[in-house]
Amino acid sequence: MRYIQRHSAFARGLHWIHTIACLSLFATGLVLFIPSVAAAVGMATVQGARVVHRVMAVIFIVAPIASIIISPKGFVHLWKSLFFKWDADDKEFMAKFFPYLFFGAKQHMPPQRINKSGQGVADGALIFLSVFISITGVIIWFPELFSTGIVRWSIMLHSGLMILIGVFMCAHIYLGAGIFQPYRGSGKLMYGNGRVSESDALYHWGTWAKEEFQKGDNIIVE
Amino acid sequence: MAETAILYDSSKCTACKGCQVACKQWNQLPSPLTSEEYEYTKSFQAPLDLSPNTWLIINFAEVDKEIGIDWNFMRNSCFHCTEAACEMACPVGAITHKDGGAVVIDQEKCIGCRYCVAACPFGVPRWDEAKNKTFKCWQCFDRTSADRKPACVTTCPTGALEFGDRAEMLGIARERVDQLKAAGHTKAEIYGENELGGLHTIVVAQRGLEAHGLIRDPKIGVTDFWQFLKPLGGLGIGATVAGLGLSYLMALGYKRGEYSYDEKTDTLTVKEVE
Repeated sequence: MRYIQRHSAFARGLHWIHTIACLSLFATGLVLFIPSVAAAVGMATVQGARVVHRVMAVIFIVAPIASIIISPKGFVHLWKSLFFKWDADDKEFMAKFFPYLFFGAKQHMPPQRINKSGQGVADGALIFLSVFISITGVIIWFPELFSTGIVRWSIMLHSGLMILIGVFMCAHIYLGAGIFQPYRGSGKLMYGNGRVSESDALYHWGTWAKEEFQKGDNIIVE
Repeated sequence: MAETAILYDSSKCTACKGCQVACKQWNQLPSPLTSEEYEYTKSFQAPLDLSPNTWLIINFAEVDKEIGIDWNFMRNSCFHCTEAACEMACPVGAITHKDGGAVVIDQEKCIGCRYCVAACPFGVPRWDEAKNKTFKCWQCFDRTSADRKPACVTTCPTGALEFGDRAEMLGIARERVDQLKAAGHTKAEIYGENELGGLHTIVVAQRGLEAHGLIRDPKIGVTDFWQFLKPLGGLGIGATVAGLGLSYLMALGYKRGEYSYDEKTDTLTVKEVE
């Protein structure tokens, strides 16, 4: 069996940290979003959730900033792999993506580079939404430093961004964790050893996989 | 229970501050005890602003005239709005309307998030850092629910404050505005009849709303989105999960082919899986 080492231990570690922070933020945020949930869990739990929310928020913000400082090259690599000029295959992939979600067996998808065009859209959106939700979160945390109007908007935007991130996260988890049948096994890319099998690599990122096999640098044979 | 309201008639108010004292006394709210704790501003207004321990003050808008000054007093406290932004913004349901219309913070439920502080267009609720709770006037609901008047109303020596059926208070206010206009106060008007769905503190503004520091046509603003955001959010996430669930069901039983690649000959092979 041949594999390509797709993600470094550093990238996987950061992804683990962000997964825990993100899910904790979502769960504790929900307690503050729905009054009936707050009433059900009790005020002591709500106060506990607020503390956890803030601790996790610090991790959520500091972890990626620290990773950029520790590994600027990794950040540049991530940026370039998500935000690139789309070629014909990228446009075709995006156009066929929604039919593919429901008719995966019949829908032939074009080969992709290191990241699919749809990944660029979804992951890129998650990054930008995360930046905005962090900014609004800091404003809500320290309202005395900002005008009432800014705080009022931040509270609303923070909640709206949580919903948007929730929508993207549902799709991200469905595909990334390999719940969608054609994506089976994808979960171990970020949560396991970071290796992708030859078959999976060629199916998902055909153009990139061929380049990797021709270069041979990241190939593991077991 | 019929809607009730406090009526504040600025034309009868002498700013004796008895209402401020009565509020503190009844609600057991401590006052600063040393003169150093009051900032000197040359104004007779004291304290200068509401606080977690001061739920009612009489604002002094002192306007210079050719001879002397106009004393434009205004009762600064919660207006108990029908469309209460604080209630909409509270994430834990700690702020509710009581029978009669008083908007009350349940201190057992308040988590000190300060969403209501940001939401209120009048800047009324105040956060206590030490207690991590937010406080404001509750229209002495403990008294009114026992058929007594709020403490501030009871103590008012000039009849500037009244409490009772909201429609009746509006009737008195209209009559008073007509009297004031007839007496030459042409800018006199009522505040609270329709603002934010109708306030439960009605004001007779002797010299017009602006002169008494009242916000003309106050808006809830962005806080109003709460009523759409939560259902829309639930709908959005629900639709996403339902769509992905359908995608999962449609892909059940599908087995992807096995892909392999020969880089020497640049040949891609796909072996079908049974």
